Amino acid sequence: MIKDCIFGIINVSIIVITTKRITMKFLISTLIILSSFFSLAQNKTIAAGEKLTYSASYNMNGILNELAEVTMQTSEVKTSKSTLLKLKCTAVTYSNWDSFFKIRDLYESYVSPKTLTPFLYNRDIYEGGYKKFMKYKFNHKTRTVASLKRKTRRDGTEWEEKKSVKIGGSTRDLVTTLYHIRNLDIHKASIGDSQSFTVLFDNKESVVSIKYLSKETINTAIGKKECYKLSISINNSNVLKGNNDNLLWLTADANKIPVYAKFKIAVGNGELKIKSATGLKH
Amino acid sequence: MKKLLIILGYIAAILALVLAVTPLFKIAYIPSILALIFGIPALVTSKGQQTGKRAIQLVFLMTIIALALTTYKAVFTESEVGNTEQLEQKEDQLEEESIDELEGLDLDEIDNE
Repeated sequence: MIKDCIFGIINVSIIVITTKRITMKFLISTLIILSSFFSLAQNKTIAAGEKLTYSASYNMNGILNELAEVTMQTSEVKTSKSTLLKLKCTAVTYSNWDSFFKIRDLYESYVSPKTLTPFLYNRDIYEGGYKKFMKYKFNHKTRTVASLKRKTRRDGTEWEEKKSVKIGGSTRDLVTTLYHIRNLDIHKASIGDSQSFTVLFDNKESVVSIKYLSKETINTAIGKKECYKLSISINNSNVLKGNNDNLLWLTADANKIPVYAKFKIAVGNGELKIKSATGLKH
Repeated sequence: MKKLLIILGYIAAILALVLAVTPLFKIAYIPSILALIFGIPALVTSKGQQTGKRAIQLVFLMTIIALALTTYKAVFTESEVGNTEQLEQKEDQLEEESIDELEGLDLDEIDNE
């Protein structure tokens, strides 16, 4: 009798454990499928040959001072085995600023044209005499990034730092994240929805949150456009200040061009306005 | 009181003049207006007196020069990008290096995983 009872309890516990295991397996496999679905989301927005030009201004007491020209450009790059998409962002100060604070920034990323998965990222900046070069080589199989940092000392000599950084499954670089935001299905989202992305910057992973605030029609240099108004925030970082003060307007069409951006940093407010857009996919 | 107004007017006018020659010239409007705000009451209070008149005239002169320069620059200065030759060279060099780095990459294999 006691033996039967013990066997019964053992059987029940085995069944419970097996059920739990099946449920866990199911959950884990669903998560893997879902995460792979998100990470390999198809690119429907970005095509090679696109060029967006912006004017960056610094806002001081309501007076806008044009500082620099920012461009976002895409092109095709061929290696012997594959064709990649090169996403390039540059920031160049206007000539009247060059003698005061010269900026020549270059950010580029080599990604898969189908899924926008990054493989190589370069950042070469020159900001008022300060030089820095960063390179990330992504290895998505081992989930690591081989990072190279090159800086110039005051005496003109260079030093290098090589590092291997562990990353999450959906970690991207800054440039790819910008383009990835454009590739989101915002038309399916409802007002108030938010999504987070992990961005690798300066060898550290930061979480960037995007919140869909509303739909607005604004006047731009490329015409009157209906736009998605998004707010951007970086968790655990003090680069962007304020709450809902960093805003991005993306056109509410298939191209989702960023036409206007407002940001609040430590030294004041800035604006990014579109000047021209060519080579769009749709 | 008059002395204080003249000193403040001087500071604002000099600031306006300095800002007017920098790329931040649009901001020069703020100290220019301030210089006028301090200068006008100083001028009114010094009517009939000879002391300090020269100083007030100088404040007005500097403010007018600053305002004229700022307005001229605001109307005629076009924002043009500076020399980007070096940046373009760097871009080409980086692209070549990147292609070499990405040579072993098989995209079809990664995309189909």
